[in-house]
Amino acid sequence: MSKTQHIGATLKAGLWQRIPPFRLVLGLCPSLAITTSAENGLGMGLALAFVVTLSNGIISSLRNIIPGKVRIASYIVIIATLVSIVEIVMKAFFFPLSEQLGIYIPLIVVNCIVLGRAEGFASKNPPLISMADGVSIGVGYTLSLTLIGSIRELLGSGSWFGLPVFGEAFEPLAFLILAPGAFITIGILLGLQNLFSRWRGEKFIQS
Amino acid sequence: MSEIVRMVVVLSLIAGICSAVLTMANQGLGPRIEQQTDLYVRGPALERLFNKPATEVLPNKVTIETDEATIPVFFSRDGETVSTLAIEAIGAGGYGGDLKLMIGIDLTTGRQIGIEVVQHSETPGLGARIEEVTFRRQWQGLPTDAPVALAGDGGTIDGISGATSTSRAAVSGTNTVLTFLRNHKEDILQQIAQREEQI
Repeated sequence: MSKTQHIGATLKAGLWQRIPPFRLVLGLCPSLAITTSAENGLGMGLALAFVVTLSNGIISSLRNIIPGKVRIASYIVIIATLVSIVEIVMKAFFFPLSEQLGIYIPLIVVNCIVLGRAEGFASKNPPLISMADGVSIGVGYTLSLTLIGSIRELLGSGSWFGLPVFGEAFEPLAFLILAPGAFITIGILLGLQNLFSRWRGEKFIQS
Repeated sequence: MSEIVRMVVVLSLIAGICSAVLTMANQGLGPRIEQQTDLYVRGPALERLFNKPATEVLPNKVTIETDEATIPVFFSRDGETVSTLAIEAIGAGGYGGDLKLMIGIDLTTGRQIGIEVVQHSETPGLGARIEEVTFRRQWQGLPTDAPVALAGDGGTIDGISGATSTSRAAVSGTNTVLTFLRNHKEDILQQIAQREEQI
């Protein structure tokens, strides 16, 4: 495979083949907790996309310098710095959103997706393709969270991105906004995706 | 041996660079965060105290340094004279930690306008009832030259039942403000005047 093809394939992989959180089944905790509205999902997804892209780029550039024994510590320092920057920027420019997302922004530090991509991809590949992987995983996560958030917000409070959709007569299914609604929504979406993959005869990718 | 040295050096370098980047980000955006916190956290309380939109009140801010703390004071004026102040106070000893309060003072009548809760972490249904108007209304029109006290301590404020420490914290926060006002009133007015000259 040529280099551009390789990057193209990596960019596409995060949107279906290993779309988080469904395919990777990592990063479920924020997916369950913050997707009460489409806006929250989008904000969280973008924050993670920023962190995973830059952390992949930095870690992959340093992959030959960082000694193997302290690599996880180094990764965490780098990721924690990026997350703190996201937190500062969010507080400065999107204060209400940062209040909404609360503890889940600092918790990106221990998000398995970021550390997983660092250890599983960026530490073995050159910077450019690692960043492509970060972008694709980040965009995939943003799409998933926005989708989950949209479903829960539409059915759970009858609005989308804060705008009322169904009008007065609609009785919202309030439980979708609560924790059980998150499990049910993600479960159904995961099941649908698996059914579709089986129907298309796709193999389940584990890496 | 050299491997250990390399590990230490690399990890220290990474940590050092990261700290430098974070310091820069924090210093660069610190003032903006402060501004946003004012707008979203203190804004609603100020809006209710001054009866004006928060964006109008927020620029009217001076900070007074005392021996113990830096206290933000917001003001509004009626014509030329400074008519009302809102002074932030920490109500120490709430059940879930310290309360952040805002006390409104009417300088022309020498009475309190009211009390607003900026931030608290009290129990919902008990201490959190401090936000309710029925409790806070008791502050309206109290004199600023006498300390406030709970009814049980011989004062006029009826505490929230089941949340004595929260009520006490609100009262003690108010008294801190009243003492502060007594000792620093000239200071506050002087700072406001100085600020005016700069603009």
